[in-house]
Amino acid sequence: MSLDVTNETATTARIPVGRTRGIGVIMLAIGLFTALVFGVGSGFSAHSSLTFNPVSLTNAPWRIGTLTLLTAWTNVVLGLAIVAMGAHVALRLPRRGVMARFGVVAVLFFFALLLWAARTTGPSQINFVNLTAVLIGSSALAMVLVFGSLSGVMCERAGVVNIAIEGQFIGGAFVGSMVASTTHDFFFAAIVGALVGGLVGLVLAFLSLRYLSDQIIVGVVLVTMLGSLSSYLNLQVLTPFPQYNTGNLAPNLPIPLLSKLPVLGPVFFDQTGFFYLMIVLVALVSFGLFKTRWGLRVRAVGEHPQAAASVGIKVVGVRYANVIMGGAIAGVGGVAFMASQGQFQPGYTSGLGYIALAALIFGRWRPSGAVVASVLFGLSVYLADNLQTYQVPMPTEILGMFPYVITIAVVSGLIGRVRPPAADGLPYRRD
Amino acid sequence: MPESTPRRSIWARVTGQSPFVVTVFALVLGLVFGAIVIITTTAPVLDAWRGFFHSWGAPGHALKVTADNVGAAYRIMFTGSVFSPATLWHAITTGQGWSNALTPISETLTYATPLTIASIGVGIAFQAGIFNIGANGQAMMGGIAGAYVGTLIHLPMALHLPVTMLAGIAGGVLAGSVPGLLKAYTGAHEVIVTLMFNYVVSAILLYTLLSTALQAPGQQNDIARTLDPSAQLAPLFGVSSGLRVNYGLVIAVLVVLFAWWFLERSSLGFDFRVTGANPQAARASGINAKAVIILVFAISGGLAGLAGVTELAGFYKTLDGGFLVGNAGIGFTAITVSLLGRNRPVGIVWASLLFAALGVGGRAMQAATGIPLDLATVIQSAVVLFVATPVLVKEIFRLRTSPTTALQLATKGWGS
Repeated sequence: MSLDVTNETATTARIPVGRTRGIGVIMLAIGLFTALVFGVGSGFSAHSSLTFNPVSLTNAPWRIGTLTLLTAWTNVVLGLAIVAMGAHVALRLPRRGVMARFGVVAVLFFFALLLWAARTTGPSQINFVNLTAVLIGSSALAMVLVFGSLSGVMCERAGVVNIAIEGQFIGGAFVGSMVASTTHDFFFAAIVGALVGGLVGLVLAFLSLRYLSDQIIVGVVLVTMLGSLSSYLNLQVLTPFPQYNTGNLAPNLPIPLLSKLPVLGPVFFDQTGFFYLMIVLVALVSFGLFKTRWGLRVRAVGEHPQAAASVGIKVVGVRYANVIMGGAIAGVGGVAFMASQGQFQPGYTSGLGYIALAALIFGRWRPSGAVVASVLFGLSVYLADNLQTYQVPMPTEILGMFPYVITIAVVSGLIGRVRPPAADGLPYRRD
Repeated sequence: MPESTPRRSIWARVTGQSPFVVTVFALVLGLVFGAIVIITTTAPVLDAWRGFFHSWGAPGHALKVTADNVGAAYRIMFTGSVFSPATLWHAITTGQGWSNALTPISETLTYATPLTIASIGVGIAFQAGIFNIGANGQAMMGGIAGAYVGTLIHLPMALHLPVTMLAGIAGGVLAGSVPGLLKAYTGAHEVIVTLMFNYVVSAILLYTLLSTALQAPGQQNDIARTLDPSAQLAPLFGVSSGLRVNYGLVIAVLVVLFAWWFLERSSLGFDFRVTGANPQAARASGINAKAVIILVFAISGGLAGLAGVTELAGFYKTLDGGFLVGNAGIGFTAITVSLLGRNRPVGIVWASLLFAALGVGGRAMQAATGIPLDLATVIQSAVVLFVATPVLVKEIFRLRTSPTTALQLATKGWGS
């Protein structure tokens, strides 16, 4: 068992040659598919139009014209770029950055899909895609996923699998909606959401650390319980008292000057407070885990609890603290989701918590990786939900599978072997 | 090793080792938890408590309102799912209204039928150390496959019914094999893969209902053709009895017998249990780990698929977009049932009868008192949380703790 808790990069798993080649071949296939189906398949007379002006023009002193592209040629070029990257990976077998390349390929693929979906045959330009709106829409989902996978990072780095993220989302969204409806204060809603998420984390920690129950079973049952409890309370409380579940869209807090940048402004600097909080949290967790004494201890507990205990670290205490903090982060994520949807509905998180777990795995248990993965997943969830508005010639139900299929591909390690913290999910007994 | 304490109270002796006792106490705790949820969310009860200090009679009144509401909820849960003494007495004394008196228990058995089959599937996987959380998707796939065969092919019943059932099993095996193969060959953790597969199958369900020949002719909605009568599981006591319990019950009994034989007597079942108990020992003794994983998922998925097609052919008869969605998602309940039954066939039968009764009774409770049916699921998950932590239950009730029950691991981290 390797124990390189001091030097994180040294423990990054080497990807076996065969697997790297396999990834390259998959990328090649994606590239060919893009070039042939989205490119040649869309006919050479088709156009795709992209617009960039934000829907709310209050912070946009600029106007960018419509960019019209020849769908077929653009997608052929995109496809060939993917093919080139795939060929490079398959033949040269780079030792690092395979995952990052796969991320780039995925983004290019989504872009090609978008162009293909928005194409119009003939010269008329009725159908167009607002790229800024797409980015804003997927950033809201990506934000929720980042909260979830940060929660996972906190827990799993300390050796506890928090599969209850979905439940913490649900709990946070429920109380968040009630608090925001009554007080109209999202700061307060976030605090209450964090308390509820932390409480769920406490239950998970209590049952799995003190009573050594199976963490995954407890987590899944907690999700079931919170799902049914929220649906119960929705019928029992929110339906008779609709004033507790009013429209609660969090207000945008534009950052002066920066929010006026073209495209980037509305996406990054004209967001809700939750978005900025997420960025701060990513930086904090990232710095804390890898640059501080506290982080070293947490990682030691997650990799080799016996060794950590032998140098005087209180393993169980560290795990309790991290699971509760992780739960609180996911709870805030639930409030953030509610604030982007406007109100609470039972079941509307539809597996986002589990997708966040997959983002965590894809991101190799690192906050920065989790952010990249969350962006990818956010984009795919958003496109699956919204491409039907562009009248895609493809059954929407098939598009709806997209995020889930990608998640399966990710955890199947199609894009590289990943190594969880060594003691992740294992119970620890003091004796 | 037997304890050598000379004098043990009867209480201690009764409650000493048996996991059954823990289960009963977990059920009690679950019902208490449900009562707390009712008390804290039901308006009349809260109003009564709000006036607690207003008058001398108020505390008594508050307690009475609480007892009335909780009592009514749980009483209707019982009478709605087992029997109501009044109607039963009426049937016995007058010889009339038997159908009425037996309807609750018939409903419970109807609900328990597919639940038992799916739970056996989940339980076999658990015994092999694999958490198949995708039973619902596999059952859905079984229902889809069964609907194709049951509506689009026309055969005499002696052939049609078995073929429909086999199609359901095949659908479940198909849906279960994907996670199985992925886990065996890539080490992907089955929990995430099977969970995600549930969503994939939901999308497949909608797609088949909206865009394929399965959709009922002339329909725009997500509703399929109705199964041919020759592909339906007939009511056990005839249509005229008015009782919905059907021949699926026979299938469920056969599945339970098969599972008992498989786990206790067959050599493959032994391999499964060894793998679940100690993967290292299994590998050392020459058991092919990959083959076990693939077979576990095939069998577990096949049983879930059978559960789905039984639910379709015995209960719904027509596939639609609400099949196994939300509260009807027997595949999710099957996980809790299997845990409650300690993954053993006989335990699962009792657990599934209990949870079926909670579900059916919950529906009666919702109709009579307006307390939402979801309370049943809340109680179920609370019970399972307590069952998963036997030490906590023993501490609460001051039972003797046996060290062997302290650590129970069914799944192991992220695998790989």
